[in-house]
Amino acid sequence: MHLGEPLAQPRDIVYVYDGTVPGFYCCVYESVFSRELPLAVYSEERFRPSFWPLKNISPDENVARKVQSAIAKKISPRALELVENVCFSCMENKEIYLLRFLQKGFSIGRKITGMLGDPDVAPLLKAEGHLLRERHLLVGFVRFSDCGDALTATIAPKNFILPYIASHFTSRFSGENFLIYDRTHNAALIYQDGRSQIIRAEGFVPPPVTKAEAIYRSLWKQFYDTVAIQSRENPKCRMSHMPKRYWDNMVEMQDQL
Amino acid sequence: MDLMHKLTILTEGAKYDAACTSSGTERPGNRGLGSTLAAGCCHSFSADGRCVTLLKVLMTNICIYDCKYCVNRAGNDVPRATFTPQELAGLTIEFYRRNYIEGLFLSSGVIQSPDHTMELLISTLSALRYKYDFWGYIHVKTIPGASPSLISQLGHLADRISVNIELPSEKSLKMLAPGKTRQSILTPMSQIANEIRTGREELSHYKNAPRFAPAGQATQMIIGASPESDLHILNLSSGLYEKYRLKRVFYSAYIPAVADSMLPSLDSKPPLLREHRFYQADWLMRYYGFTAGEILSEQNPNFNPFLDPKAGWAVNNIHSFPADVNRAPLEVLLRVPGIGPTGARRIITARKNSLLSLAELKRMGIVLKRARFFITAAGYTPPIRMNKEAAVRALIDPSVFSFGTEQLSFFSPGSLKLPGAGDTRSMEEAVMEASKCISANL
Repeated sequence: MHLGEPLAQPRDIVYVYDGTVPGFYCCVYESVFSRELPLAVYSEERFRPSFWPLKNISPDENVARKVQSAIAKKISPRALELVENVCFSCMENKEIYLLRFLQKGFSIGRKITGMLGDPDVAPLLKAEGHLLRERHLLVGFVRFSDCGDALTATIAPKNFILPYIASHFTSRFSGENFLIYDRTHNAALIYQDGRSQIIRAEGFVPPPVTKAEAIYRSLWKQFYDTVAIQSRENPKCRMSHMPKRYWDNMVEMQDQL
Repeated sequence: MDLMHKLTILTEGAKYDAACTSSGTERPGNRGLGSTLAAGCCHSFSADGRCVTLLKVLMTNICIYDCKYCVNRAGNDVPRATFTPQELAGLTIEFYRRNYIEGLFLSSGVIQSPDHTMELLISTLSALRYKYDFWGYIHVKTIPGASPSLISQLGHLADRISVNIELPSEKSLKMLAPGKTRQSILTPMSQIANEIRTGREELSHYKNAPRFAPAGQATQMIIGASPESDLHILNLSSGLYEKYRLKRVFYSAYIPAVADSMLPSLDSKPPLLREHRFYQADWLMRYYGFTAGEILSEQNPNFNPFLDPKAGWAVNNIHSFPADVNRAPLEVLLRVPGIGPTGARRIITARKNSLLSLAELKRMGIVLKRARFFITAAGYTPPIRMNKEAAVRALIDPSVFSFGTEQLSFFSPGSLKLPGAGDTRSMEEAVMEASKCISANL
């Protein structure tokens, strides 16, 4: 199989970008046109001073759009979807994995999307799967409290899944006002009077528990405890379906921590 | 009686019901409160590891019937309670708004008469749908002996409706559930199947025709309270899937809750492994293209405790392996131990683009622990020539040892004896012993 000339040479250089998805597309642009694969790509937040020469990649909407449409056209729409999903995932050094995938994709085209066992593709699919699975879990595990004016919830997912669960909750609870705070990523999904947005938010403190809220919490806790069958108790099975790191934000698990 | 007390009693009475799924219908939100997801959604997992998706309660645990196996039987001395439709609808809404649940799973004891009970269920569901404008998931159990017009009303309010088969044969019903007959169970089941079908036809003519149970019909039966063979039960399920187009058959390991001379004794353990084998076999029939006759036969009418049903098939059909992952069609890949529907589909996509070796398979997330004995790939053939004993050793189910010394078939004590911890020095030795013994018996 002929893969063509590699488009880029590895180079001892570090990219620093603003950590946004458009910002990352600008890194892709730089990497493709300088024909180089950097040693590392850091967002400003994660950046640590090092001996390697740095390249500051400044975000540019136009460049980002160009790269985005090039991925869809020259590789495939599925490749673009995969890249965006991985951008929101918690994969370590995802930027380098993505650059490698894209360099290869621009070289061999659409075919790469189906090469599920390829060493430059498989890790991305794994990261994407991890994100989508976590989204699926959290759709169920989010616990709202009714504080009188709105419903509020706190979550602490590994992946940045707020954009992925937003439409589920806004359509399900279209008549409510609610807020979901993501403690890991310091962001919140806010839905008010039929409009939703995701904003940066730090240190959200949930409002005090009202009397009515306390009653429903204890009813739920009682239901949860009663519905389990003692003679079938299986803590391992529970843990594998509902990993412990989510228990913190789930009313019914408070006394198990 | 306060709500907390009622909730406790009526959850206690409902918890042995196996089904707790919220799948089968996709309904977007934006209208009133709620939506449903085709794949369903688990909201929590209880201490027994079962998914909690719906508020699973009884309308009432008062019952005029005296089914021997049931905690709510008339003759059992337990505290009794009944929700009012208002109470239950309100509670469902408050749980739902907090995202505790996906909806309501409502069944009931029979209070006064079947039709009276049905009316309580109907007014609860009407309150949810029309007073609260609630469009989350509702699974309801119809009451045996209810009139057809009420079943029809109930089905138009629910997403899924089910009738419990209860026990796998007429004889066991007569013995253990004297108030119920095969006919009283199958008649509503076929009415529901018909209404679902005509509902679908109407929907193709009128877009806004009210839908009857869009998530279909399900049923459940108790495993291990009566003496039927596994083959008998599996044939029954297979027939139900075909004849009544059921979405799911649930199996629930009999948990002795009441003492009766006709039932397994109170200290007998629930046959969890046997139940597990039924779900595995059920999955094979629905997602892997197996028929009941391929899984069990007159010669082997019961599940093997040591081998899951797919492994059992592989051991008896060694001649169909190894399968070439670069060529074998989907049906063949699906029969390879260790490869499931997701893995099989991934293989088919990936091999269009490049030749697959073990390294690719591993990176794609295919678990090779068992599969490697049954496949060939680019540059790979299985390490040993397969025979029955080698296949058994490769496939023996390690989880069997954690189920303890449970008797798989309750009434057939002749089945194989599991080597206990005392008989062997290590797990490895136990596996060796067991493989020899099983392959000799197959």
